[in-house]
Amino acid sequence: MALINIATHEIHCKIVYYGIGYCGKTTNLQHVFRSIHPNARGDMLSIATETERTLFFDFLPLDLGTVHGFRTRFHLYTVPGQILYERTRLAVLNGADGIVFVVDSQAEKFEENVQSISELEMNLRRIGKDLGNFPFVMQWNKRDLSTALPVHVLDRYLNRRRVPSFEATASAGKGVFATLRCISKTVITQL
Amino acid sequence: MEGSAYMEQLTNLIISDRELAIISTALNKLVLDTSASSVMLIDKSGQVIATQGSGVRRNATSLGALLAGAFSSSRHIAELLGEKDFRTIFQQGVNENIYTTLVEEQWLLVIVFDKLTHIGLVKVLSKKASDELGRILERVKADITRKKSSVINVEFRSSVEDTIDLLFRD
Repeated sequence: MALINIATHEIHCKIVYYGIGYCGKTTNLQHVFRSIHPNARGDMLSIATETERTLFFDFLPLDLGTVHGFRTRFHLYTVPGQILYERTRLAVLNGADGIVFVVDSQAEKFEENVQSISELEMNLRRIGKDLGNFPFVMQWNKRDLSTALPVHVLDRYLNRRRVPSFEATASAGKGVFATLRCISKTVITQL
Repeated sequence: MEGSAYMEQLTNLIISDRELAIISTALNKLVLDTSASSVMLIDKSGQVIATQGSGVRRNATSLGALLAGAFSSSRHIAELLGEKDFRTIFQQGVNENIYTTLVEEQWLLVIVFDKLTHIGLVKVLSKKASDELGRILERVKADITRKKSSVINVEFRSSVEDTIDLLFRD
């Protein structure tokens, strides 16, 4: 749910990175934080456990500056990937305007990815949204690993809706901004 | 858990000049009446709608995200206890306290105050302010489509896309 504040000339949109544990959601945000011009970002917040797993969420506010008289901001969130934290994922999804589903491309993670997408669909339904007509893109992450499944296989089984998808190696920064550009534009188009 | 806490969400929330002025007046009154250091109105999704007072201005965006997260988390705790929800949260520090209360299932009213202000006063006055803000929220919800077209037009979208291409890159 974008917030359009006509009085202060501000538009705020929320983008959520979703996916299984260790798929690279936080790594995506960390790369954006490190690489984007400092004027275009605020502080990155991470609520993590001692083992550096995301406990609640990561949060990175991005500021596009004033566009056509409106200060436009994107707030990026990640959800905790571990199965245990389903309720937290639902809480973070609250008010989302767009979703990036980060897929761990490794063959051994395939089934977990499938389950996570179906959980996402169910969670969106709980907040009255349908993934079919919601700003949504896929990221095939960890393409550098030898155990990564071919993209056409991932696309066939995980991208049933045929939404835009991007190959990525988030740890090296590859594909991170391509994914972010696409979801941001999709959100703006559907505002 | 799919009850009222997860009612269908709005597509956009559009706040006009007039509504923001009323909101700011209500928040400012609360600052004065309670001697709070800050009062914020945030959306349940974590977006900051308005702030008054001097205490949180610099950290408002982060606070918005964290307080909305804490509130969501407390609702799930309520469910586990068989409660419908917790409508308020009180966070007590040595010097600073935060009182958060739900406004009509959509917004959170946040009051940051120190030990010189009594929590009872904050509770009573925030309830009053929350009722008033609830009425404004109803108006905002009822009036969404008309105002949107004046802001989000083709030129705006195209300029934002150009800016995205410019900024979101290595």
